[in-house]
Amino acid sequence: MAKNDLQGTLDLLVLKTLSQTGSLHGYGIVLHIQRASDELLRAEEGSLYPALHRMEQNGWIASDWALTETGRKAKYYKLTAAGRKQLQEAEKDFEQLVKGVRAILRYA
Amino acid sequence: MSLYRRISNLLSRSRVERDIEDELRSHLDMRMEDNLAAGMSPEQARRDALLRFGNPVTTRERVAAMDVALALENIWSDIRYALRQVRKFPIFAATTILTLALGIGATTAIFTVMNAVLLRSLPVPNPRQLFYLNVPTQQPYGAWNTGNGDTSFSRPVFEALRQDHRAFSDVMAFAPLSNDKVAIRIGDDSPEQAFGDMVSGNFFSGLGVPMARGRGFTLEDEKQHAAVAVLNYAYWTRRFSRNPSVLGQSIYIKGLPFTIIGVAGEDFPGVEPGQLTDLWIPLQRGPELSPWGQSGDLKLYGSPNWWCLMLIARLAPGVTARQAVAEATPAFQAAAYASLGTPDPSHPKVTLALLPAKGIQGLGDNYREPITILMALVTLVLIIACCNVAMLLVARNASRQRDFSLRMALGARRSALLRQLLTESGLLVLAGTLLGWLFALGGARALAAWSQLEVNLKPDRTILLFACIVSVFAALVFGLAPLRTATNAPVTAALRATPSTSYQRKRRSSAVLVLQVALCFTLLTAAGLLLRTLLKYEQTNLGMRTQGLLVFGITPQRTMDSDAKFIFYRELLDRMRSLPGVESATLMDNRLGSGWSNNDEPTVDGVKYSSEQVPLRTNNAGPDYLHVLGIPLLVGRDILDSDTQSSPRVVVVNETFVKKLLPNTSPIGHHLGDPKDHPYTIVGVARDSKYRSVDEKPRAMAYYPYTQNGGAFATVQVELRTSGDPLSLLPLVERAVHEMDANVPLEKPMTQAAVFEDSYSQPRLFSRLAMFFGLLAALLVGIGLYGTLSYRISRRSTEIGVRMALGAQRQQVSRMVLRESLQIAAIGIGIGIPAALLTGHLMGSMLYALDPFDSVSLLLALTGVVGISLAAGYLPAHRAASIDPMQALRNE
Repeated sequence: MAKNDLQGTLDLLVLKTLSQTGSLHGYGIVLHIQRASDELLRAEEGSLYPALHRMEQNGWIASDWALTETGRKAKYYKLTAAGRKQLQEAEKDFEQLVKGVRAILRYA
Repeated sequence: MSLYRRISNLLSRSRVERDIEDELRSHLDMRMEDNLAAGMSPEQARRDALLRFGNPVTTRERVAAMDVALALENIWSDIRYALRQVRKFPIFAATTILTLALGIGATTAIFTVMNAVLLRSLPVPNPRQLFYLNVPTQQPYGAWNTGNGDTSFSRPVFEALRQDHRAFSDVMAFAPLSNDKVAIRIGDDSPEQAFGDMVSGNFFSGLGVPMARGRGFTLEDEKQHAAVAVLNYAYWTRRFSRNPSVLGQSIYIKGLPFTIIGVAGEDFPGVEPGQLTDLWIPLQRGPELSPWGQSGDLKLYGSPNWWCLMLIARLAPGVTARQAVAEATPAFQAAAYASLGTPDPSHPKVTLALLPAKGIQGLGDNYREPITILMALVTLVLIIACCNVAMLLVARNASRQRDFSLRMALGARRSALLRQLLTESGLLVLAGTLLGWLFALGGARALAAWSQLEVNLKPDRTILLFACIVSVFAALVFGLAPLRTATNAPVTAALRATPSTSYQRKRRSSAVLVLQVALCFTLLTAAGLLLRTLLKYEQTNLGMRTQGLLVFGITPQRTMDSDAKFIFYRELLDRMRSLPGVESATLMDNRLGSGWSNNDEPTVDGVKYSSEQVPLRTNNAGPDYLHVLGIPLLVGRDILDSDTQSSPRVVVVNETFVKKLLPNTSPIGHHLGDPKDHPYTIVGVARDSKYRSVDEKPRAMAYYPYTQNGGAFATVQVELRTSGDPLSLLPLVERAVHEMDANVPLEKPMTQAAVFEDSYSQPRLFSRLAMFFGLLAALLVGIGLYGTLSYRISRRSTEIGVRMALGAQRQQVSRMVLRESLQIAAIGIGIGIPAALLTGHLMGSMLYALDPFDSVSLLLALTGVVGISLAAGYLPAHRAASIDPMQALRNE
């Protein structure tokens, strides 16, 4: 049985984004999810930051202040080793969830 | 906001929190930038960014909640917030802390005494195994006792019990060297007095008392009746300033030298009830040092029927008290009757009982009830104090409710608010407890001084635990109660412009006030009863003139036979009479008002009465007895110098004696005593006067000339009458006695008035404490009423404004407020009356010459409570009456 819920999905999206882009600030993550999903998904901004801080406390991601291309100070996040492992698990869980949901939808 | 405050806020704000805020702001800024780039107006760009982001305050709190580092910072910031509140409302904080401290302090102080008197065990290993041996049936018929009927044993009984190791692993014997303090001398210092016990050789080892210096006694010391002494640590501290070189020094007890060989462990008070024993010596054989200072024919070794030793035993391992009694009883009874012959079957056999060595034996019985009642009274004060603080907090939180609602509307979480309020309450409780602990330390010390209880009142773990439990209770009562009301308010209701009075809350606070008034009424009644008891004591007619009387004891220190003693006493009396300032002098056996008496069964004209029919008290008196003491002589004559050993035997009796034993006849010439053994002829009748204590009932009394009744007594009480200050005679008296014998100190010199006053020192102490509690309760209830009424007026100012605008008179308004105060008082008194009557009933044994349902005390309490509610209502009523209707309505 795959443990999965909406929060888990947001975690997965954030972790995947960071693994694809290397290091990114919160606003960048929102834009990336929107762009990469062809505007299908939109991360709720109010929920993103609590999630980022929780994942940081869990040791999955690490943060640092740096300058953006436009010269603005922003907090950048990147994956840690533990985060990479967590991403693999989250991906596996998600695959199973999708498989399960699809099976139910196709059940006749 | 001042520049200073702004800078300090900036500095004190958490780094972590600023970090979160910066991060969120950078997010919003980047969104705005992009929006501007997409062609929005600056205003549009900002609105869009905020809309997408949602409530930044909520987000910030949610983010912060995720940060562990912040959890610790939150506690700290809560504390800082609470401290800021305290600083902002210093009067509120001070009132709360002080109220709480008084409640906790008073309760803990009384508990300290209760602990020492009723609960505390001896500071030795396994104190629960220690029991005092007791004879509930008193000594067997025919045996001599010491006046302590149920606690004394004969030496053969002690020897039998200590052999039996199945019941007890050790039995220790002890007996005082005198009825009071014993005369001692250290080096060439002038004679002084100390409490001394003679004890068996296993006393220290059997109890398990550690030695601070030197050694304790051994069985060999007991066998040899060694002239060695062990000092109490407190006595060593007081008398010798803990000088370690006292070991090996000599101390003279009744003129006999003893070598100091040890100092007992620091906290060991001895095992005498309610008394610190100053020093111990092994059991002695010689006639000079006999238990209880006995100088007659009774000897510790050689009088097997004299029950004079007190016993304390340690149970054998694994044996319960019940098993030990069953095990030891046969040996006990055998030894009890061994020297008395076959027990008379008409008398019940003696039985043995064990009393746990806990608190103060004997004294515990006298104090148990009063102390329990005091504890109950002080608990009522504590409850009133806690109620007050709870009401204060509720009122304060209610006035902050708009603030809370506003913060919740802006996204603050309820749990954060709760935590903040809890921190505030916790801080107040902590401060109150610390201050209360200080009060308790001072209070217990003062109590020890007032009560003249020689007990160790040092705070120990039990007391600390007690204080903690009390303050946790206080914290729960008023820390949690106000929270519900504070945070349950619907946000919208509280944000409305007018604060509305919640009817439910008003009812609840009224209920608390009624409860307080009821408790206060009960306390005031109890205080009234005890105060009236004290007054009764003070107004009691003693039947003599105590002003100008000095009394002191003299114990001849050399062994003398009766004749030598009579000569000594005669010389003493002559010397005293010749002192300048002394108008007259006499002496007696038992000091008046000291609680001691001789008791007998009267035989009048050959007819014997049992002590159940007519108990007779007697005293052996010197010449001019009635004249010196100022006891009116009704018929016949006083005891005279001419009543000597060789003259005809005479006796003076009192009114009650005549009323009970020789009614309807002239008592002069009748005979008291065994007709076959030179009975005493009654030569005078005196008015009734107090003998043992102030509160005794009149009893038949006989005064024998001291030269004619029995042998000479060990200690004589000398009474001097002077026209000046009795105590100013002391230096002269001391010099005169010193000339007779340098080893003889004046024992307990004091005015006769003071002796009688001391005889009711316990009721005096209790009445003072109860009055203190009553006043404290009244003050607290007054503050509570005042606070609540003022708060209600401030909330109803609009309503009152409307009433006045519609034509209500100022008088009507102020009467309305006073009526509210009096209504609360009336209901409170209604509930309080049964409680007060019950309290009075429970206090029955503490009252003297007073009905437990004393209407004067009830009336006093009633007046007190009504007075308090009028006083507490006066200011708010005045304020309500001076509300300006225009002003009040404009505020709406």
